[in-house]
Amino acid sequence: MSKMSIVGTSVLRPDAYDKVTGGMGFPINVRLPGMLHGKLLRSPYPHARVLRLDTSKAEKLPGVKAVLTPSEVPQIKFHPVFFAPTTANSMVRDMLILTDRPRFAGEPIAAVAATTAEIAEAATELIHVEYEMLPAVLDPEEAMKPGAPQLYEHAPNNIALRPSFSFGDLERGFQEADHIFENTYQTQRVHTCYMEPRVCVVDSDPQGNLKVWSSCQSLFGLREKLAFALGLPVGKVTAVKPPYIGGGFGGKLDLGFLEPIAALLSLKTRRPVRIEHTRYEDFISGARNPLKVHLKTGVKNDGTFTARYANSLLDTGSHATHGAVVLMVHGMYGFLLTYRCANQKWDGATVYTNNMIGGGFRGYGSPQAAFAVESQIDEICEKLHLDPIEFRLKNAHHESDPHPFDPGSKLDTYRFEDCLRQGAKEINWARRKPAASSPGTKKRGIGLATQPLWVSGCVGFPDIYEHSGAIIKLNVDGTADLSTATIDIGSGQTTILTQIAAQELGLAVESVRLCYADTQTAPFDAPSHASRVTYSSGNAVKAAARAARNRLCAIAATLLRESPDNLEVADGKVYVKGLPDKALSVSDVVKQAESPYVVMVPDGMQKTHLEHKGTIMGMASLAPTTNPSPATAEFVEVEVDTETGEVKVLRVVFAHDIGKVINPAGAEGQVEGGFQQGMGFALMENLLFDPTTGACLTADFLDYKMPTAMEMPPDIKSVFIESSEPSGPFGAKSLAEPCVIVPAPAIANAIYNAIGVRIRDLPITPEKILAALGKL
Amino acid sequence: MKQVIALHINGEIHEVAVRPHDTLLHVLREELGLIGTKKGCDAGGCGCCTVLLEGKAVYSCMVFVMAAQNRKITTIEGLQENGRLDPLQEAFMQAGAVQCGYCTCGMIMSAKSFLSHQPDPSEQEIREGIAGNLCRCTGYQKIVDAIKMAAANKQTAPRM
Repeated sequence: MSKMSIVGTSVLRPDAYDKVTGGMGFPINVRLPGMLHGKLLRSPYPHARVLRLDTSKAEKLPGVKAVLTPSEVPQIKFHPVFFAPTTANSMVRDMLILTDRPRFAGEPIAAVAATTAEIAEAATELIHVEYEMLPAVLDPEEAMKPGAPQLYEHAPNNIALRPSFSFGDLERGFQEADHIFENTYQTQRVHTCYMEPRVCVVDSDPQGNLKVWSSCQSLFGLREKLAFALGLPVGKVTAVKPPYIGGGFGGKLDLGFLEPIAALLSLKTRRPVRIEHTRYEDFISGARNPLKVHLKTGVKNDGTFTARYANSLLDTGSHATHGAVVLMVHGMYGFLLTYRCANQKWDGATVYTNNMIGGGFRGYGSPQAAFAVESQIDEICEKLHLDPIEFRLKNAHHESDPHPFDPGSKLDTYRFEDCLRQGAKEINWARRKPAASSPGTKKRGIGLATQPLWVSGCVGFPDIYEHSGAIIKLNVDGTADLSTATIDIGSGQTTILTQIAAQELGLAVESVRLCYADTQTAPFDAPSHASRVTYSSGNAVKAAARAARNRLCAIAATLLRESPDNLEVADGKVYVKGLPDKALSVSDVVKQAESPYVVMVPDGMQKTHLEHKGTIMGMASLAPTTNPSPATAEFVEVEVDTETGEVKVLRVVFAHDIGKVINPAGAEGQVEGGFQQGMGFALMENLLFDPTTGACLTADFLDYKMPTAMEMPPDIKSVFIESSEPSGPFGAKSLAEPCVIVPAPAIANAIYNAIGVRIRDLPITPEKILAALGKL
Repeated sequence: MKQVIALHINGEIHEVAVRPHDTLLHVLREELGLIGTKKGCDAGGCGCCTVLLEGKAVYSCMVFVMAAQNRKITTIEGLQENGRLDPLQEAFMQAGAVQCGYCTCGMIMSAKSFLSHQPDPSEQEIREGIAGNLCRCTGYQKIVDAIKMAAANKQTAPRM
């Protein structure tokens, strides 16, 4: 009997047919009878006090059903981040649903529900507001200076958090160095640009129970954060799982203002209320935090690190939200743990400003760190005439070394060297020329960057949820229904979990379907973030499938008069090992379990087996035991036009060790999309704000430039080095984030190789290149 | 004040009450329930709302519904013929061009438009053809592959 291999195959996405024919399942399509539409009134000023709100005219506008002001919202300070418990000590709770002290241009101060969105919007304009303007500070370094406008009493000098970590003896490390390099790198504010706007519908019943549909990355995070902000027990809130959402990338990893406001408007009107962001509202609701990173690095002549120091300043905007955790991930996973060095120190600061709130974005602090660390390695190699590949390998962790962030375990699978070697071969690294040595005005260069270590979820992190659950039940037609709270944010979570369940159950992949789920029916799952779903949710699904399969085999064993240990399930059949003809279909076994105990046959009544009765199902809810690390290297070739400053990326090679590749086409696609986000960060994307008013200047896709098909390179090649991670489902680790982290430094290094010019602040625009070349 | 107009969509006449300033996108989604056409930015910047007007791709958020009267409108719901997927729909599935799927329908409609007058496009022409459609998941590579695949299938298939 041939065992079908589902894992490792590019099976069709189960949601693809729906999506090419219309995509009904997006939350933006949710409509309920009697539904009202909500709109928010947002402060036009970056820092102000609301002295008076007159809503009388708005309330009189025909079609308006409710107006909500700050005095009517629960005065419960919350943090909106889905992956951390609401009361986690490491999070700063500084948000209210509506505020009378807006701290960024765009912070909501009132809301309206009306019969149409248009009426609601018109009504917000009829609300008369008297503001007292307060001085604003938009630059994080200015914000830390004495005398700067203060945003919060709890944060003197606007410093929300100031973590610091050190190992070894930094000063001795610098004394041992043959060379010391000091450079400062600056990154900008970029948006995740999910294509489906943030949108929600909240319904309430007469007893005040809430039901919420939202385009977000975590069902249970939504329930917990919404209930907390409203002062309700979680049992009063049910979050309904969308079949899929239109992208997330970390940008939908928190409670928005829209969900609690829609909830309060629904409770006030006793009707469902829908709020949909405009693209402007999306652009001012969460971005990758800008970071300024100062690096001081000591190295020996041979390239061995002797000391590493970094100081990172993060602009968290007007609320701490993700800023606290982004800074920690940045410092730990982007800097301290990336390479081996006995003497290290990192100082970080999360600083409040009157800018928009920061948010999650793939990489979560590491794109900013990698731009600094991987650029500086290139600078060191250039100065000391060292090969960037050998330099990294000399300082890297290696397979079977102690796990840098999971003490007590080892890097069981870690093919960093293979990533570098195979990637180099694919791009033909050997033909890389010295910097600025190609003739003509259009100059080519090759660069590389790595994310040596990354996570598969968050086990081991303080204050971050990581467990997952799944329920699987088998049907009489030989199919299986899989229920999880895992949200498919686009990268194929549904596909991967279906493949894992089908492989474990021995069913065709088409026979497993993800079914309806909400927070009442499905077990907890941490958000779809942190490169965690394949590994963590995958392990839970596999365990649930295993439990269902064990029950299936136990019943089949008595029917086949065999020991359950002697049975296998494949191709929809339970068969005796080595005897493919001695088999029962899964469907027949399930029918036995689901049939009445006594059945009528032509001769009369016949008893079946009472002990077989009951739905064949399996469930699991568990946290992973460790946090295996993928490894990533990326090589790019660019062409820089020295007359226009334009950078064209010609070729890209990614080499990843992600463990077993569950779905090769899906993995390639995720990497290709990751490069688009990384390239946008490197070369063009920048959320700009007026330096005096704090107003967003790039609030649509005409002003906020992200790569189209025209700018993207025609050739992005993925090499997967398949290790088999013992703790992962079928050997899998994780993929999602490193491919977004490494493009900026890889491109910056390639630009240096092309024109001999180092740009240390992003994005690397034609203007900066021409200026660096002395042409502006 | 609303007025009733007739729209010719996917081969059927729809009578619908509209306001003069309604966009075609708004009427398709909110009045007619044709929700395959997506709203991504409502400002002509993303391409998620692309439909065909007389066979030509337009951003439906940038077209007043009044201007769409007496013109043939095709949305994603009108691509299937006799229950059979359009070769573009089939190719998007097969090539792995669908991730979150929010841009997909607009992307397919843009491709439908330029393939109708350039059935054998070069890669560069394909990239130009979808330059008005943003995607944040795929990096466009598999979308380009899908359009190539559809173009090839269309040429060899006896009838589309």
